[in-house]
Amino acid sequence: MDWLEEELKNALSRRQPSEGFDGRIAAEVRRSKVASFPRKWLAAAAALIVLAGAGEGYREFRGQQAKEQVMLAMRIAGGKLNRVHMQIAGEKQ
Amino acid sequence: MAALLFGQQFKINLDHLAAKASDSVDVSLDKNMLQFAGKFLSSKEPDEAKAKALIGGLEGIYIKSFEFNKDGAWGQTDLDQVRNQLKAPEWGRIFGVKSSEDQENVEVFVRNEAGKVTGVAILATAPREFTVANIVGNISLESLADLGGQFGLPKMKGAPEPSPKKKEE
Repeated sequence: MDWLEEELKNALSRRQPSEGFDGRIAAEVRRSKVASFPRKWLAAAAALIVLAGAGEGYREFRGQQAKEQVMLAMRIAGGKLNRVHMQIAGEKQ
Repeated sequence: MAALLFGQQFKINLDHLAAKASDSVDVSLDKNMLQFAGKFLSSKEPDEAKAKALIGGLEGIYIKSFEFNKDGAWGQTDLDQVRNQLKAPEWGRIFGVKSSEDQENVEVFVRNEAGKVTGVAILATAPREFTVANIVGNISLESLADLGGQFGLPKMKGAPEPSPKKKEE
């Protein structure tokens, strides 16, 4: 066996990992999962908040529109009825 | 003929007048929309509080109102096609007033079903105005007229007072 073969044999020989190697690997995997997990959910939560905000804004808009329509309807119908009241009262006098 | 909207008690087929009108109003509120609107009406504002109380018992409000820049924009056929639907036994005409001053005619019809008032129709015309309203449900005409007075229309001295009602606010 020449020196080159000896070097290769040493370099490729099976070695026991150092103490706590598996624990460190497992901890690293957990850390990377924890780090990437919230980012995805934060983006989804932000999108939901934006959508919910837009939905609430639209609801408010539609509600105000409906309210204006009711008040306009009361103004028109009430105005006509008030006109009838006035006319009848005028005739009575 | 225009389709009858859900809850509406007679057809208001006047879309052709919209093109001639200088101003037009088209209100179409079914029960769900009235309930929704009620959530946005303030109990602290007197007129809104009264409107809120009034719509509580309603099934719908449908109004078409047109104003024109010149006389003759609407015709007798427009009036007849509404009037012809407001006939006995369902409908009864309770008021009809004509004003010689501004030539405005207002007619009020009430719908009765099984002895109960289930709707009101108001037909108001003037040379430059055509208004039809259908208020579906049981409504106090006095309270509605009172609201009409609140909206800037002066109430004539000696006009019949609305029937006593509970103090609001």
